[in-house]
Amino acid sequence: MKPINNDADYLWDKTGEPDPEIQQLEEILGTLRYQPRPLEIPAGLYVGRERSFFRGYRAPLAIAATVAVLLLGLGLWLGLQRVERSPQQVAKSSETPQAKPMISPDEKQNPPVAVSSPQPEPKQIVESPRHRFNPSLLARNSKRDRNTVRDQQLTLKEQQEAQAAKDQLMLALRVTSAKLNLAQKKAQSTNAPDMIHNQHKIG
Amino acid sequence: MKLISRTLLKIAPVKLAALAVLLTLGATATAMAQNPRIQTSQLDGLAAKASETVDVNIDESLMALTAKFLSSKDDDERKVKEIVSGLKGIYVKSFEFENEGQYTDADLESIRSQLRNPAWSRIINARSKKDGSIEVYLMHTGEQISGLAVLATELKEITVINIVGPVNLEKLTQLEGEFGIPELGLEGSKPKRKN
Repeated sequence: MKPINNDADYLWDKTGEPDPEIQQLEEILGTLRYQPRPLEIPAGLYVGRERSFFRGYRAPLAIAATVAVLLLGLGLWLGLQRVERSPQQVAKSSETPQAKPMISPDEKQNPPVAVSSPQPEPKQIVESPRHRFNPSLLARNSKRDRNTVRDQQLTLKEQQEAQAAKDQLMLALRVTSAKLNLAQKKAQSTNAPDMIHNQHKIG
Repeated sequence: MKLISRTLLKIAPVKLAALAVLLTLGATATAMAQNPRIQTSQLDGLAAKASETVDVNIDESLMALTAKFLSSKDDDERKVKEIVSGLKGIYVKSFEFENEGQYTDADLESIRSQLRNPAWSRIINARSKKDGSIEVYLMHTGEQISGLAVLATELKEITVINIVGPVNLEKLTQLEGEFGIPELGLEGSKPKRKN
């Protein structure tokens, strides 16, 4: 190792006598020298801000939220409608379970004729022994039988509901008609004196 | 088209959603204001005091079911069918009491407050201290009647009627005394003095 020449500035600014040892070191380390080149970002590398699930889906999410709100509104509206249409209540009376309309004293003596007509009794069909058949010989479809029974029950239930609703309807119409007539009569009776009064004024 | 979609996307989606909510709420409020169905459940408490109660609730589905069972061949039933066709509901609540003072104006206020809605117009208001009062309200949609409400009060009786749908007042008024519907003659039933 040579003694360091303090006068030489080669080490600092490459002036003066070159030092071979330093030159050798330069050559070795020169391979690692900074060489300017354009930045190349690897394709697989993602650099960005903190990822959010909602980022990038804003528009579809807004549309979905709008639709959801609309559906909610519709649901609320339908729910309100359903609440308004309270379950069917058969006209109640403290005396009888049947719907009982308000009856005037005159009518209490002569009760009104029932609105619903009585159901005709079903005719009995008498079969002759000749036409009787052996049920065991018939091919049976038990599933179909069950469905038929169910259908009959439904129809019967529907008929009963309709009959009850019909009675209620007649009752409602009766009360409405009576009250409207009463209102009409009262309105006419209150207007009549005024009309006469006005006629006097004009005359 | 692209321009519209771009503009829409430029507007903050949150604002868009808020606008939709406001529109929905507005539409709901308007629809509710125009609803000819009045709530009468507040009167249910009077049933306990009443000696006689009539509570009829026929909604659209039940009305349709009933209409199916009204015969078109029978003249009387056909008339009823004509009257109820198109109706969406008939609701009647009537309470008759043994004694006077069983109900107060506060009981009726809930009904009256609903009928104060500008959509309702009162066509008859007959009041008498002796016989009580009767008020008839109509709701119109365009030129067609879309609802009827009757509020009749007597000293011992309250009746609230609400019909939803196109009501034919003339036919309905003529109904009393016809076919299965006896003439109640609420006023005429009073015994006439003989000269």
